[in-house]
Amino acid sequence: MSDIKDATLTPEVRRLHKGMDEVWGNPTGLRALTVVNHTTVGLRFMVTGAIFFLIGGLLAMLIRTQLAFPDNDFMSHEIYNQVFTMHGTVMMFLFAIPILEGLAIYMIPKMIGARDLVCPRLTAFGYYCYLFGGIILASSLILEIAPASGWFMYTPLSSGEYSPGPGSDFWLLGITFVEISALSAGVELVVSILRTRTQGMALHKMPLFAWYILAMALMIVVGFPPLILGSILLELERAAGMPFFEVAGGGDPVLWAHLFWLFGHPEVYIIFLPGAGIVSTLIPVFAGRPIVGYGWVVAAIIIMGFVSFGLWVHHMFTLGIPQLALAFFSAASMLVAIPTGIQIFVWLSTLWLGRPRMTLPMLWIVGFLIIFVLGGLTGVMLALVPFNWQVHDTHFVVAHMHYVLVGGMLFPLMAGLYYWLPQVSGRMPSERLGKWSFWLIFLGFNVTFLVMHWTGLLGMRRRVFTYDTAMGWDIYNLISSVGGFMMSAGVALLILDIVLHFRFGKKAPQNPWGADTLEWAMPKPPTAYNFVSLPAVETRHPLWEKPELSRTIYEGEHGLNTIDHGRRETWGSDALTGKLRETVHLPSNSWWPLFSSLALAVVCVSLLVRVYWVAAVAVLVGVVLLLRWSWENGAHPGKAPEASMAPTDPPLHYHTMNGPGVWCISVSHLANGSLYLSLLFGWFYLWVVAPEWQMPETSPLSMPLLVAAGAALTLGTLLLAKVVRRLRRREGSGLGLMMHLAGGLGTLQTLLIVAVMWLAGLAPTETAHDATLFVALCYVLILAGLGAVLCILQGLRVGYGYVSVEAPLEPVVVLRLWYYSLVVYWSLFVAIWVLPTVLGGGA
Amino acid sequence: MRRLLKLTHPIHLVSGLTIWGIWFVAIYAGLSVACSVAPPEPESDMFTGINLGVGVATLVTTALLLWLTWASVVAARRAEVRRECYFAYTSAGVFLFSAGGTLFVGYPIVFLPPCL
Repeated sequence: MSDIKDATLTPEVRRLHKGMDEVWGNPTGLRALTVVNHTTVGLRFMVTGAIFFLIGGLLAMLIRTQLAFPDNDFMSHEIYNQVFTMHGTVMMFLFAIPILEGLAIYMIPKMIGARDLVCPRLTAFGYYCYLFGGIILASSLILEIAPASGWFMYTPLSSGEYSPGPGSDFWLLGITFVEISALSAGVELVVSILRTRTQGMALHKMPLFAWYILAMALMIVVGFPPLILGSILLELERAAGMPFFEVAGGGDPVLWAHLFWLFGHPEVYIIFLPGAGIVSTLIPVFAGRPIVGYGWVVAAIIIMGFVSFGLWVHHMFTLGIPQLALAFFSAASMLVAIPTGIQIFVWLSTLWLGRPRMTLPMLWIVGFLIIFVLGGLTGVMLALVPFNWQVHDTHFVVAHMHYVLVGGMLFPLMAGLYYWLPQVSGRMPSERLGKWSFWLIFLGFNVTFLVMHWTGLLGMRRRVFTYDTAMGWDIYNLISSVGGFMMSAGVALLILDIVLHFRFGKKAPQNPWGADTLEWAMPKPPTAYNFVSLPAVETRHPLWEKPELSRTIYEGEHGLNTIDHGRRETWGSDALTGKLRETVHLPSNSWWPLFSSLALAVVCVSLLVRVYWVAAVAVLVGVVLLLRWSWENGAHPGKAPEASMAPTDPPLHYHTMNGPGVWCISVSHLANGSLYLSLLFGWFYLWVVAPEWQMPETSPLSMPLLVAAGAALTLGTLLLAKVVRRLRRREGSGLGLMMHLAGGLGTLQTLLIVAVMWLAGLAPTETAHDATLFVALCYVLILAGLGAVLCILQGLRVGYGYVSVEAPLEPVVVLRLWYYSLVVYWSLFVAIWVLPTVLGGGA
Repeated sequence: MRRLLKLTHPIHLVSGLTIWGIWFVAIYAGLSVACSVAPPEPESDMFTGINLGVGVATLVTTALLLWLTWASVVAARRAEVRRECYFAYTSAGVFLFSAGGTLFVGYPIVFLPPCL
């Protein structure tokens, strides 16, 4: 078929398309800011990420200009420090992660046969957090007060004593803000992949790209919180003087390194996995056969996801850790070569057994294979402790890192860009310009970074802003700089190609590459609702086995093909089998995401300029906005204009007790739990390792009050569990009263924790011990307060009829939060009161 | 809950690596605490209680993971549904990797002192 849009539709089907357009369509003008649709927001993520890539690239060229010649005074060392710090920060946090998330946000619903992600407003909220955080961070460059301690912000260099300006604050606050975006995308991608695949798409039948994104999203959810905690602690140290990382106050700067790399190493794989997902998607298409060893790839993805969390210390081999511990991490670092090798051999086997077509996307894939394998080999070299000691902090490491990241992420991303461009625009890119751009980037990259290995082996340290000609590094640096500019020319051509193709590109046929996945079964450019009807899919290659799917979907022959109710709907399916379970009613466009993220931006800026009362007010406003946003949920009439269902369709999700909301809160608790475990790690780490740690003989915390607060929490949880059990039995009497009672118990717990903090007389600016206790108590205080407020709101919603026996989902979601709080509270009680009391202050 | 214990359930795609992860954290944290609280004499070289403890934990974990590998293969052969067979075989591969990974990471206790 040339294009499904050329198909002749019956008047009834035309009406269906028109109705879908009205319900799902994007508004224009100022109201475009309210758009929550995954296609639009995904594109916004990618375009914003591309802009930050250009900024990061510009910074890279400044670095190469400075290093091109010895004794160069193009930049002062102060500016150079800011430039290289921001280059790494922008590329890692504002380009790599967001653009890949944008791709996932854009592509996942289309690949799994859904109409949108499961929390569209969260998608928009995440985008605005990313945008505002990125702007705040980038503005520091213009003001010449950018962070200057390297992209991993090691303490004590980044602490107040050695970095007194606001540079580090920009990094800590800006990055934390941006990470809200990453976490929100991570949570909803996990839940969307597991719970909104189209009918019949069992877990082992879903596209490999979805497996990769599932692993990436879970890694974000677990991997980002340690850095968020580290950033909060370091900002508290800088702004309020709490000595978490100061030896004299009982802290330890190495704790920062642990928290950073607990995030930082998985981050590398978070970036690589979507890239590998693109490769695993494209190679079968261009080889014209299914991938060899789908199961092997799935196993390799899972192994990579896990093992990558066991490698963080290999960034810290020179920090004085015992050799046996180094050997553990060295071995674990080598282990990761196994899943990587599995994937590479799977890709090569697929090409070997197929009939590869050397198209433009494949050119980038070949480039990826060469560069990434080289980067992987130097990775194994760096995993060896003695070699690592030799080249630590030299340009060898810089070269390795770029081979892995550019090879593992940028090249597949470019392959994906050329592959999916016709899907986005409906037009084909220029082969000639594309090839020129590829060769310039490929050659430029290798000229820059292959040579840099030698520069490093000759001893040139990273981060030095200039060097003496006697060092013998001149020619290598000059060659690297020439290569860098060659690469820039390639990027310029690439941008030109993409811009021109929108105007001059040939019209793309329906499935230009002969692909097998569902994203090619929709009109191009895609409609806001993706599919006018949702097909049943029970194969890994739907378009290869049923090429007519594009037409039958477009002609409304499959499921959920009514729109008279005015709702945005997609299937909710069983995570394992893909059997239909419910109809997920998705929220529509809204101002709440923008307003809520604006409030958080005000918090961020006011903390930067240290006007704390404004920050406090903005926090309050932000909380109110978020709660107001949550109010328009479930059976709220503002969200559900009509609740009638076709008799054959499964029930609306809020009429069930296991809708996607339950999954969202559970996955959120993975992130929350990761943050909490990082905090516990910090507590025990400082207790055991910090040389000046001061543990008092008796705990300053009141045991009776702590137990009373825990009792209130336990009673509240039991009460809520009873509420949920009764709802399962369809007993709704006294529902509102019980929710208010649980809210009261939550309030009591909150007040008791405040009393504990008040009576403890903590001196958090004096000792790391008291500072850690203070943060831990704040954490349970926030959980208690949130639990109380949500229960009280639930009580009110019962009164309005939004929560009832007919709409029982929300109490189940709130109960999950209480369960989490219960586990956290009592385990924290053991960690901060029982153990110090039993082991004593001298332990 | 009983469903989760069956080796044909996809939860076992991650259970082997979770066991590996718990073992890994336990030996690293245990080593750090032991070296901080009761470091052995440097002359003891690798013949210390710490090495012995880590070694025992490593062997027990490896044995458990190898048994799970075998049990998964058996479960895959007995599975009647294609999906269950698929998950059991894939889990077996991950269990086997985890067993090998445990042994490989724990192996340095044979030739390195714990706290130097």
